[in-house]
Amino acid sequence: MEIGKRIADIILMPIVAFVIGLFMVLMLRKIAAKLQRRVGPPFFQPLIDIIKFYSKTTQVSHGLLHDIGIIMAVGGYLAAESLLPVPGMDGLSDKGGIITLTYFLMIPSLGLALGVGQCANPNGSIGISRALTAMLAYDIPFVIVIFGVAWHYGTTDLSEMISLQQAQGWGAFEMPLLALAGLFALQGMMGKQPFEIYVAPAEIATGPMVEMGGKYMGGLFVMQCFQLYTAGVLYTTLFLGGGTHWLDFLIKIFAVVAIPMMIAFTFPRYRTEDMLRLMWKWPVLAGLLGIAFVMY
Amino acid sequence: MNLIALVVALPLLGAFLLPVGARSVGWVGRLLGPALLLLTSLVVIVLWRDSGGVPSHIELGGFQPPLGITFYLDQLALVFALATSLLALLLWPHAAWRDARVAALMLLMVSAASGMALSGDLFNLYVFYELVSVASFGLVAAPKTGAALAATLRYVIISGMGTVMALTGIALIYTQTGTLNLAHLTLLSATTLDNTLGLTAFVLILLGIGVKAELFPVNIWVPEVYATASQRVSALLAGLISKLAIIVIIRLLVLLFPQPEALTLLLVIGALGVLLGELAAWHAKDFERMLAFSSIGQLGLVLMAFSIPGQAGLFAGLAVAMHHLIVKPALFVLAERWSGGFAGLAGAGWKSPWAAGLFILFALSLIGVPPLPGFWAKLMTLLGLLGQDNWIYWTGAGIILLATVFEANYLFRFGLGLFKAGSESRSAKVPVHDAGSLGPSLILGAVLLIATVMITPVGNWLAGVADQLADRELYVTTVLGAGRELP
Amino acid sequence: MSLLDALLLTALGTLIATLATVRTRWVGYVASLGLGLQLLVLFLLAPLGYGAPAVTSGLAWDLFGQPLVLRYDAMSWYFALITLGAGLVSSVYATGAWSDHYRAAGRSPGWLQFALALNVFTMLLLLASGDFLSLFIAWELVSWASFLLMALAAGPALKWSLRYITYATAGAMSMLAALGIVFHLTGSLNYADFMAAVDQWSVGLITLLTVLFGAGFAVKMGILPFHLWQAGAYAETPGPGMAFLGAISSRMGLYGMMLVWVQLIGLIRLIEVHIPLTFLSLRDVLMWIAAFTIILPTYTALKQNDARRLLAWHGIGQGGYMLMGILSASALGSAGGILHIFNYATNQAVLLLAVFAVVYRTGTADLNKLGGLFTRMPLTFVAMLVGIIGLAGIPPMNGFVSKWMVYRSLLSEGMPLLFVASVIGTLGTILSVYKLIHNTFLGQLRLEHEPVQEAPWSMVIPMMVLALIIFLTGFMPGIVLDWVAAVQAAVGLPVLPHTLGGVADAHGGLDMIMLVLVLFAGFGVSALLFYATGRSEPVHQLDNYAGGHFLSADVRYHYSDHFYAGLMHRIGHWYRGSFLWFESVVASLASFLAQWSATFYRLMQPALPMLAMAVIVLWMVS
Repeated sequence: MEIGKRIADIILMPIVAFVIGLFMVLMLRKIAAKLQRRVGPPFFQPLIDIIKFYSKTTQVSHGLLHDIGIIMAVGGYLAAESLLPVPGMDGLSDKGGIITLTYFLMIPSLGLALGVGQCANPNGSIGISRALTAMLAYDIPFVIVIFGVAWHYGTTDLSEMISLQQAQGWGAFEMPLLALAGLFALQGMMGKQPFEIYVAPAEIATGPMVEMGGKYMGGLFVMQCFQLYTAGVLYTTLFLGGGTHWLDFLIKIFAVVAIPMMIAFTFPRYRTEDMLRLMWKWPVLAGLLGIAFVMY
Repeated sequence: MNLIALVVALPLLGAFLLPVGARSVGWVGRLLGPALLLLTSLVVIVLWRDSGGVPSHIELGGFQPPLGITFYLDQLALVFALATSLLALLLWPHAAWRDARVAALMLLMVSAASGMALSGDLFNLYVFYELVSVASFGLVAAPKTGAALAATLRYVIISGMGTVMALTGIALIYTQTGTLNLAHLTLLSATTLDNTLGLTAFVLILLGIGVKAELFPVNIWVPEVYATASQRVSALLAGLISKLAIIVIIRLLVLLFPQPEALTLLLVIGALGVLLGELAAWHAKDFERMLAFSSIGQLGLVLMAFSIPGQAGLFAGLAVAMHHLIVKPALFVLAERWSGGFAGLAGAGWKSPWAAGLFILFALSLIGVPPLPGFWAKLMTLLGLLGQDNWIYWTGAGIILLATVFEANYLFRFGLGLFKAGSESRSAKVPVHDAGSLGPSLILGAVLLIATVMITPVGNWLAGVADQLADRELYVTTVLGAGRELP
Repeated sequence: MSLLDALLLTALGTLIATLATVRTRWVGYVASLGLGLQLLVLFLLAPLGYGAPAVTSGLAWDLFGQPLVLRYDAMSWYFALITLGAGLVSSVYATGAWSDHYRAAGRSPGWLQFALALNVFTMLLLLASGDFLSLFIAWELVSWASFLLMALAAGPALKWSLRYITYATAGAMSMLAALGIVFHLTGSLNYADFMAAVDQWSVGLITLLTVLFGAGFAVKMGILPFHLWQAGAYAETPGPGMAFLGAISSRMGLYGMMLVWVQLIGLIRLIEVHIPLTFLSLRDVLMWIAAFTIILPTYTALKQNDARRLLAWHGIGQGGYMLMGILSASALGSAGGILHIFNYATNQAVLLLAVFAVVYRTGTADLNKLGGLFTRMPLTFVAMLVGIIGLAGIPPMNGFVSKWMVYRSLLSEGMPLLFVASVIGTLGTILSVYKLIHNTFLGQLRLEHEPVQEAPWSMVIPMMVLALIIFLTGFMPGIVLDWVAAVQAAVGLPVLPHTLGGVADAHGGLDMIMLVLVLFAGFGVSALLFYATGRSEPVHQLDNYAGGHFLSADVRYHYSDHFYAGLMHRIGHWYRGSFLWFESVVASLASFLAQWSATFYRLMQPALPMLAMAVIVLWMVS
């Protein structure tokens, strides 16, 4: 791949991700509203929210690390998006595959954790403690899924996985158990219902966001857009054959985020320890069985 | 050449004259003993230099063997005669400076011990052994405390039993062969002693002389005696006398008893000694008992080393024995100031760093940490044991390895305990070492370090000694003259 | 005289010079200078690190007809580099301000420097050993040298160092048994004779030797189930000493394993050995031991409330990654394992130095008594941040690269459970290192820590140097991978083709240069976005939302104790202390036997058992 194309990809991919992420946020809000029999926000509401956050006059900083944490949170995702191939753009996907991506995704979490810690609010720290515990919960089935998929395709390169699936058929049909386990893990990873206790969006004072306001909150909003996008694209790439062109790609990634969410929204929230038990039981079992099928 | 008789005779004479002389002239009592020991050491050194490493023999009173009293002077005998004088000089008990009777007992023991090292026939061996016993009874009981007397009584009883056994064994040999001269017996052994009766005689002698050698079942006296006797006497008994007894046993084994069962027996008894000794030492709660049990374990190790067939076994056994000969007396001397329970010694190391340093040096060598000599001795033993295609020998090696772990633990539990922060009132009572109390240990420590640096020459020399010890033909021809080949 | 002689003699000279100046104030400078010189000589030996043939020492001599060979190959050089690096950094750190502090506490910095120099010397000697005898001698020297370093602090360190030396002696005895068996079988202690004979040996014999040698090395390495001594013994070692021990000392065990298992016996032989009644080979069993060594100690670390213990437990866990990587026997995995030795050494050293800088300023390593120090000690914070990112294996630090390689090889070798196990370990590491940095540097600053200042330069500079190395070797792992490839070639493993940025692989490689550049571009854009928009105003840390209450400095609200309450609610009851239980069972058994032995010597009727014994023996004889 020539260098100019690569640079263009690296610049474009995060922008695309951000825009799509905004739509996903909008979609989720609409879904939630429909389930709760509300009207829901207008079309541009997510964008307006971000602009509003960034242009607040009161911006409370709890010190340098608070700032750096937010920068790391957003910056990490900006970089990570270049590892996720989308139709027409491969970016850096050949320089670091699925394992690298998984670990890149920890950088924003680390940034957030550092920033929240610096705020010196015990509620924030509790939120981080829960968030990290949740990570331990969903990452175990997730890495099982990663192993199964990577073993099946014989590669960790995401773009190679896509081309293989387009030749042989979708991963979800070849590895249904892994796809199921992946769906569970994905739900935990997004920090959405019913696993949203560590974000605690409804009772902001008892979660990581307790000291966040203005552009700090704005940064987290941006991060959320990326998070949803990443989850959708990653799952699509692993199991749904990626995208041949943008149209089917967009349908797939929105479906990946939307359909589980419609089901999950109706469930009550899980406590951290219950989430551990859930994640370590069924998805892990399904994942291991899936690996057994794939390997033998 | 008859000069060697002085080594036995002079201290013996001194032992009898000393109490008389000390009564009239005070300083005689103090100085005669050490002076005599110095003289005997010089005699041995001169003889050694003149011998050039070639063994020789003398007949006292001019009777030809097998009738007369025979001394056999190979390097092993000479080195033990020298070690006897030197160690006795180094460890001359404090009581012997004051009390002429103790000094006399010491001289008696030295004389008899040298005799044991040199003696070339069974009867004299037995007589000297008895003399050593009697002298040691007196020395051990010298503190005159209740505990010391009780321990001595126990010691006397067991030694008595041992004497009976050894004498029975010797009698068996005599009935079988009609001679007690070792060279003669060597000639006859293949035809007369290579049978069950011979083995029985060996077992009886082993258990009899084994009392002094701290062998497994007959060493029950050891811990109490060492814990109650004066530390220097314990040092001599543990360091020197036990080795002499072993050397005598091994000399008899090499010359008279070719049965492989004898070696296996040594191995089993040695292994039991190692195991029980080190375990009990691990359990001990005061310094002297710990050293006493450790000494039992080390003697077991010596025996196991000697149980390896061939020259390799003799070499390894001698190496372990010589090593212990240096290390254990030094440790007992350290116990002079540090006697009693561990708890009372907390923090003693900060007050006497040199003593603590010496302890650690000797402990490292006992465990077998390279490059100290103890390592080479243990290595030779283990290589020898594992070199046999025999599960008993392999088990024995395993026991040594296991025991070493316990050894490391209890020695360093004590060594580190010296640096524990003890309570102020308690640690104020711990005596501080001075030059006088450290002297012998320092000298022995220096010997150990020199041996560490000179390990190759020392090893080669020891191999030569082992070769001489293994050479039965040399023994026979030296004593009886050429032409009397072994069958 | 070869350069190797020069290296060993310089090390010996350093030792002597340190001993000569042990009571003076400049002992630290002497030791640091000596270590620096050694490093310089090692750089002259650098061709070894790029695959030059082994250098033999002229100092070889015979002992009892057994030639002692000293030689350096690529593996020795690689380990020596880490050893000297860690030694130099620790020594510099222990010089200057730290040593004054240490002296003021009534301790002797001179003996600490001496112990450090002794450790370095013995380890260099071990790495030079060219036959089993010199290997064992040097091994014992290393053991006792680290014992000295551990015991120096006295106090509680005495108990732990005794535990260490007991384990170490047991390990050494196991090696000695193996050595004896080798001597019995081959009649010599040469590596060459061993390698010539090993092909004819039976499966049982190979297993026996693997286990006997391995047990000795595993003790040093802290591989399960021989790990119980390590965390406590390391944690009680004085600051820089612990940094040195934690960084490299345990890895001598790995050196031994690579030497005996990989180079001499060969992993192929271990894979051939099938364990009866299972579908596992001996190699698989060892890999599983490595996996448990990753998981259990890491989750034990998670529960620690003392920063030193926490890191020491991680040290045990990280050893498992190295072992697992090497045992995977593939080019990528073994390179990852070998690379992780370097990476982990830098991470652990910087973390411990940072922790001890905090201890230096605040007097405690208790994670419940710190907090909020970021504003007071920002450079130390940076050092620790770099360290935890590296230790947790998150990009862009070097720890990520080595762990990535281990994961990647487990993936392509098709070992799903081991893969999952190692990821579980990493997740636990992330949790616990966040707790470390959170409880120390984030959150509420305690009132008594208000006047705390940044650590002195003599301590900050070593940390910064290490942090820089961690970043640089993460950015360009190829620098270290060159050496790693030479090590692979030296021990007979397949050699990893690599680039400056990482690994080139058609099915998913790694290019750290590109990734790190993009990551920093991302940070840059994000920072631009952040700072270009509305100005933020800094507030005091007490200006916080507290549910209607007013916070004041005397209220302690730092969330530190029982940090992962939710997690512990689920897994807390899985901590059974089984290994401690097993250790106590063994100790009780030994104690029982010892008591029994002592009783034998206290019998009231001494003559009777003696008589009985005589009768028994005579009966058996006749």
